[in-house]
Amino acid sequence: MSFPILSLLILTPIIGALTLSLSSSTQLKNKTIFLSGLWITTGEFLLSLLLPIFYDKSKNGYQFIEFHTWFDKFDINYYVGVDGVSIPLILLTTFLVPICLLCSINSIQNRAKEFVIYFLLLESFIIGVFVSIDLVIFYVFFEAVLIPMFLIIGIWGGENRLYATFKFFLYTLAGSVLMLLAIIYIISKVKSGNIELISDFTFDQQIELVLFLCFFASFAVKVPMFPFHTWLPDAHVQAPTSGSVILAGVLLKLGAYGFIRLSLPFFEYASIYFQPMIFALSCVAIVYTSIVALRQLDMKKMIAYSSVAHMGFVTIGIFTLTQDGINGAYFQMISHGIVSAALFLIVGVVYERHHTRMISDYSGVTNVMPKYSFFFMVFMLSSVGLPGTSGFVGEFLVIMSTISVSVYLTFFTAIGVILGASYMLLLYKNINFGDLKSDIKQLADLTNIEIFYFSCLAFLTMLLGIYPKLLFEMINKSISLSII
Amino acid sequence: MINLFQFIPEIFILSLILITLCFGLFNKDRAISLNTLGFILLSILLLNYGKDFYSSTQISLNTINLFVLSKIILSIGSIVFILLLKRPLKNENLYRYEYVLFLLFAILGSFVLISSNNFLTAFIGLELQSLSLYLMAAFNTKNLSSNEAGIKYFSLGALSSGFLLFGISMIYYDTGSFNIQNLDNFTAISEIGLSLVLISLFFKVSAAPFHIWTPDVYEGSPTISTLFFATLPKFASLIFLFRVYQDLNISDIKSLNYIFQMVCAISLLVGVYGAITQKVIKRLLAFSSINHIGFMLLGIMSYQFMSEGTLFFYLIIYLITTFGIFAVLLNLRTVDGEFTKISQLNGLRFTSNSKSISMLVFFFSLAGIPPFAGFFAKFFILSASINDGFIFLSIIAVLSSVIAAFYYLTIIKNMFFNKSEIELLDDNNKTGKVIFIVSGLIITLFFIYPDPLINLVDNLFK
Repeated sequence: MSFPILSLLILTPIIGALTLSLSSSTQLKNKTIFLSGLWITTGEFLLSLLLPIFYDKSKNGYQFIEFHTWFDKFDINYYVGVDGVSIPLILLTTFLVPICLLCSINSIQNRAKEFVIYFLLLESFIIGVFVSIDLVIFYVFFEAVLIPMFLIIGIWGGENRLYATFKFFLYTLAGSVLMLLAIIYIISKVKSGNIELISDFTFDQQIELVLFLCFFASFAVKVPMFPFHTWLPDAHVQAPTSGSVILAGVLLKLGAYGFIRLSLPFFEYASIYFQPMIFALSCVAIVYTSIVALRQLDMKKMIAYSSVAHMGFVTIGIFTLTQDGINGAYFQMISHGIVSAALFLIVGVVYERHHTRMISDYSGVTNVMPKYSFFFMVFMLSSVGLPGTSGFVGEFLVIMSTISVSVYLTFFTAIGVILGASYMLLLYKNINFGDLKSDIKQLADLTNIEIFYFSCLAFLTMLLGIYPKLLFEMINKSISLSII
Repeated sequence: MINLFQFIPEIFILSLILITLCFGLFNKDRAISLNTLGFILLSILLLNYGKDFYSSTQISLNTINLFVLSKIILSIGSIVFILLLKRPLKNENLYRYEYVLFLLFAILGSFVLISSNNFLTAFIGLELQSLSLYLMAAFNTKNLSSNEAGIKYFSLGALSSGFLLFGISMIYYDTGSFNIQNLDNFTAISEIGLSLVLISLFFKVSAAPFHIWTPDVYEGSPTISTLFFATLPKFASLIFLFRVYQDLNISDIKSLNYIFQMVCAISLLVGVYGAITQKVIKRLLAFSSINHIGFMLLGIMSYQFMSEGTLFFYLIIYLITTFGIFAVLLNLRTVDGEFTKISQLNGLRFTSNSKSISMLVFFFSLAGIPPFAGFFAKFFILSASINDGFIFLSIIAVLSSVIAAFYYLTIIKNMFFNKSEIELLDDNNKTGKVIFIVSGLIITLFFIYPDPLINLVDNLFK
């Protein structure tokens, strides 16, 4: 197909951001700015819908390929394409960004134009990560994502935002530079940055282990895996709602995507060699962060810790190195992208009305906000992994695939599920049931806009939960290729 | 018979100096704009006929390319500098045409330094350059710290010149020749002499541990002079250092190679650790430049892999970024005069769009965050160094750039997140504005369209 759809996907938000930045800010109202941002991102979403429609599921390898030489001398090319692994994540991104803009129309009052611009840039960089099949351009986009996110948390964040945004930026950068060195080394060996060529190349075993650890440093921070996760709760708590949504929804997936796309096919020997380490770290992550989440007083922090636990499932699934495991991990990624995004929105709704995130400040919300409680329940149950919701499929597949590896692993992951249920139910109970506190009597129920986006998200969770084949059809073939 | 043809660029500048000297007595404004014109002419001349000047000599084609490219960069840099200097000097009541003369002498010295094949000529070039720099540092005679900067720079610079001369004489004692190319048989004496020469050059480019003068001189001098120290003379000295490294095959001499690597590593680390706690922006930039010198030394050492291209690319990007940053700084003033502290940048985002966004671009670029050009500069240097086997130094380099990101982010934080405390006056200098916007655009758009810059560097080295 000659139509450059992927470049268009990358460029549309950038062009939108440019036109917005050139318009004079004094004349535009906040609402107009957000509406134009919404138009652009919705257009982007519709554009990205073309991908699954025209994607040929029967073929191997990348499609919609575009190739331009970029740095001739260094054999670095602008080389983009998508396969089954990247398309759902692109859709997730383009789906979540309009929602982020929608949810901040009221909460972001100052510097609205900048806000929309940063989100548009962020969107195009993230899409860039998912479509690139050349290592250098992958790295460029992977790092560029930090810039708008740094600004979003730093400008619109909570009271301790500087600490959080610096920690976020430096942690991620420190992980990534090691990957940069590994990338340079690989390119110097293979003489090409093309992902497919590198997959065919076999390194010395010792070197492969080192290279794997370099990539691991970067992705483990991004995922985040225990013990590299400490930036995440800070970043989530301080970020504005929309920032948390995009952070939990998409940015965390960059790490897991990196594992599937790069680490597994490049370093086959090392993936097996480090399997026990990753299982151990993931088990600790699941159990430890779940227990930590149980004791949190801050809603956002609790959901942030639950994200770490859920991403632990993803890493376990990926490194079982079986088709079921990776399928399950991938499903969990998408599901977590939808559900945790929705949960952060849920927190955002009450925060916007009551300006506190402490669980103890809420009680009996269901009396004044019945619709809110309903949606909260849907997403809570999906996060717990109730059959019929998207959360179930992923967790089930991951746990099932762990049996083939080790029963102990199954035991710890299953404990994670139970702990997950306990803290989510506790959170739900404390906020929604009990006596109605006097100071939350005036809280208004969901507005139409909020109902709209919550229903979209709820619909998706149910759809994926009831008909998971929709996603599996897309990813099966591509994932089977990345398994050793 | 000496072939004068190859000295045309130097003769051109010399005549420019004489004309300015005479003409400046009557009309200093015209004298300064005349120089702009002169350098434009010179760059056109070099761009078109640069290689022909040296065609009758026995210099290898690669070296000729090196001469021509660095001289083009120097003259373009001078154009930008001369365009920029009027307003800041006027603000400080320093607007005299002698300033431009010092600049011209320094550039002349740099030209001589770059193309010298002889240690003595190089010494003359280096001294001509340095003496002008001392004067530029102390140009604000009524300001105590400017005087201090000048004297500090002079006394330490004189010491390092002494080292240079001593080193040269030792080499001469051993080999009987001043030529840079003809040192084949090394004895211990030459090695010691050469290491003294290197130390002196390290001092000039302010590589650690020979960097102590840098923060003080940067801080004390008028900002416009600081811009000059940070860019063109340093560029010329680096090119000369590169030539010494290449022509004398220092990579084969174990002890000197060891010194080189040590200096590189120490520069990388001292640069970042020094910069973290700085509160004055010029001191911070001084330390950050030391860190970047570390990267450039890494580029010099690993030239074998991708020729001079990577080093030159890094230098060009660094020059553009530095010019951009200083153009912004020179455009800002507090009520009491030049602004100095980082905290005075607070809230720049609310007062000026173009300045804050350009600064954002420059500092992210210096930190090496893609998609800005600074990332690619570092990327190429690291590619070269890893290919040449400097794995350990590369790891130090990237880790230092993570720490460096911290203080660059602090500046961005001040501009974007904090509320302003002191009102910054906008100098409204149109040329300055054009310069930082253009450099910001180059740094940003390089990502989308890298060909022009890459080709410029590439073609000259084929």
